[in-house]
Amino acid sequence: MVNLARMLSATRGRGRLDWTDWASYGYLLVGLVLMFGPVLWLVLSSFKSAAALNEFPPQLLPYGQATVTLPGKSEPLPLYRVKLPDGSTRAMVELRRIGIEATMIDPSQPTEEVKVNIRDREKVREFHLALENYTEIFGKFDFMRFLWNSVFITIVATLFTLIFNAMAAFALSKYRFGGEKWVFLIIISTLMIPPTIILVPNFLVVSELGMLNSPWGVIWPAVATPTGVFLLRQYMLTIPDELLDAARMDHASEWKIFWRIILPLSAPALAVLAIFSVMWRWNDFLWPLIVLSRTENFTLQLALNAFQGELTTQWHYLLAMTVLTLLPVTLVFAFLQRYITTGIASAGIK
Amino acid sequence: MASLELVGVVKRFGATTVIQGVDLRVEDGEFVVFVGPSGCGKSTLLRMISGLEAVTEGELRIDGRRVNDVSAAERGLAMVFQSYALYPHMTVYQNMAFGLENIRTPRSEIETKVRAAAALLHLDALLDRRPTQLSGGQRQRVAIGRAIVREPTVFLFDEPLSNLDAELRVQMRTEITALHQRLKTTMIYVTHDQVEAMTMADKIVVLRGGRVEQIGAPLALYNLPRNRFVAGFIGSPRMNFLSVQVAGVGPDGVRIASDASALNAAAPLPVRGDAAVGRRATLGIRPEHIHLRRASTGEVGLTARIELLEQLGATSFLYCVLSTGEKLTVQVAGQVESRPGEEIIVSFPADRAHLFDETDDGPAFERLPARATGRAG
Repeated sequence: MVNLARMLSATRGRGRLDWTDWASYGYLLVGLVLMFGPVLWLVLSSFKSAAALNEFPPQLLPYGQATVTLPGKSEPLPLYRVKLPDGSTRAMVELRRIGIEATMIDPSQPTEEVKVNIRDREKVREFHLALENYTEIFGKFDFMRFLWNSVFITIVATLFTLIFNAMAAFALSKYRFGGEKWVFLIIISTLMIPPTIILVPNFLVVSELGMLNSPWGVIWPAVATPTGVFLLRQYMLTIPDELLDAARMDHASEWKIFWRIILPLSAPALAVLAIFSVMWRWNDFLWPLIVLSRTENFTLQLALNAFQGELTTQWHYLLAMTVLTLLPVTLVFAFLQRYITTGIASAGIK
Repeated sequence: MASLELVGVVKRFGATTVIQGVDLRVEDGEFVVFVGPSGCGKSTLLRMISGLEAVTEGELRIDGRRVNDVSAAERGLAMVFQSYALYPHMTVYQNMAFGLENIRTPRSEIETKVRAAAALLHLDALLDRRPTQLSGGQRQRVAIGRAIVREPTVFLFDEPLSNLDAELRVQMRTEITALHQRLKTTMIYVTHDQVEAMTMADKIVVLRGGRVEQIGAPLALYNLPRNRFVAGFIGSPRMNFLSVQVAGVGPDGVRIASDASALNAAAPLPVRGDAAVGRRATLGIRPEHIHLRRASTGEVGLTARIELLEQLGATSFLYCVLSTGEKLTVQVAGQVESRPGEEIIVSFPADRAHLFDETDDGPAFERLPARATGRAG
């Protein structure tokens, strides 16, 4: 906490604020608002009721109109503060409204109906967390199924990515063979091809292999990544060859060297790649959209998309689900991000 | 326990020949040291013996069996690397057990062997630590321990002490020698430090540019270097080399003359000279064989000017220049009164001097058999 406070109050000038302090804090603040503002708005909005979401002008905090349930009425009725012709103000609920005239009653005297011009009343607001947005989506949609699909694809694809990329990186960093540089160059150069270009060929391959509408159709094409091979290869280059020689003298097979020596020592780089892979697969949209067309195979991202109806969108549910979708990847990042820094740092020192 | 034989072993990396035909026999239980300046191929030669590097040409035999195509693991050797090459993610115990696990040794047997090796090397208390938590000397011992547990037929050491500080190096040197005496296993040790070579070896192999310059016992190399390179490499401080001329050849040896006017070569050097009179040669004399006194019979005298003086208490080093500009280092026991800039008269016994051809390789003139009055070697 002390460190955080010190970091947040750090200045360039001693004591007073230098103009660079103003500039950097201003820049950081703009960045914070730009980056974090929408997320904050999303999270706050996900706690608004459907009515509060449709309100204009929009509110940042989840304030909704207060409602009162009267005996004999099935729906909760909206509450207003009404200025009566005699000059007094009273809290009343609206029974119905025709044009600019609303029929209202005082909840304490439910029999006395009053006609009020809508200009003479204003809404009573109260802070209300619409937790039902969250609880109801579990019943309304097959949320758990989409979650499972997403988790399955993310975990399996990440595991495969780590293993296959590590094997490729091991070969490219620790073995000398003809054309080794070329193979590496070709792998790296695929970074320059945008995924959209190879969308159709990829689709044809997956379709021929009969993996359409199956999670494997999403997993397999994602397993080999040039970024991962590059990241791991560069890290493995820093592992001294003498360790491999020592293991060879110790009767270790090449396979064993890979599992027992190379993989444990590459842990920081593997962690970085794991984080990337989890984020890529979890947030992946375009490819799953093409491969998975049946609802029961949908990932969360696809389900979110399907939520947007052609005519109406239930925004309160959509926002709540978006927040839930964001959570896992945020948690993964929060807990593993230190590996990114240690991974980068230890790559230099060896 | 095994003997080792290299026959015409050659190593090429592409067009460059790193090892140019090495013949060597290492007897069972011998401690052999490969020594030479950096880049002489000594480490490559060791890696070829270990099996980590393929042999381009020639034959490598262990106990008479050709092993050129046998894998490193199957040769039954163990190697201690320069950087120790301990697995950083394993504990000391796991480091030592890894090799045994790979050959499917029963768990109880691994435990016994590792504990025994740890006891031998005083590592008992460190078995649960990781290599990063150990000091340099301890890491070195773990690396040796890892080699011991596999009970290899030959130990290979690749400059194992070069990463240690001076004091620890001396200590580990004696420990490795003691280990050799206890285990009586064949050991091959690579170093660029001639002191290590002299103190540890049964047999030294001096290498230069991928060629064997001389093979022999430490003192044999010191006393009878085959050429100028070996003479200069073995011994510290370095042997002095003076350019001289053959002045006369007789049955009792070769008389020399020098441009250094003060060189008084009254005594002949006891070497066989078939060279013509007037031919140039190189005279070699070790600093420790030069005395601060006038030449008496059988000695060669010189005058020199002291440039620099190092007094270590028990010994003193006088760095001098001759009138020809040649440098001369003199090592004397005890302390001296002289000051830098002073002219001094020094002498050395003629039979301590070496005479070399003045060619690149500078092979030594053959020595005459020692006379009854002559000093040994």
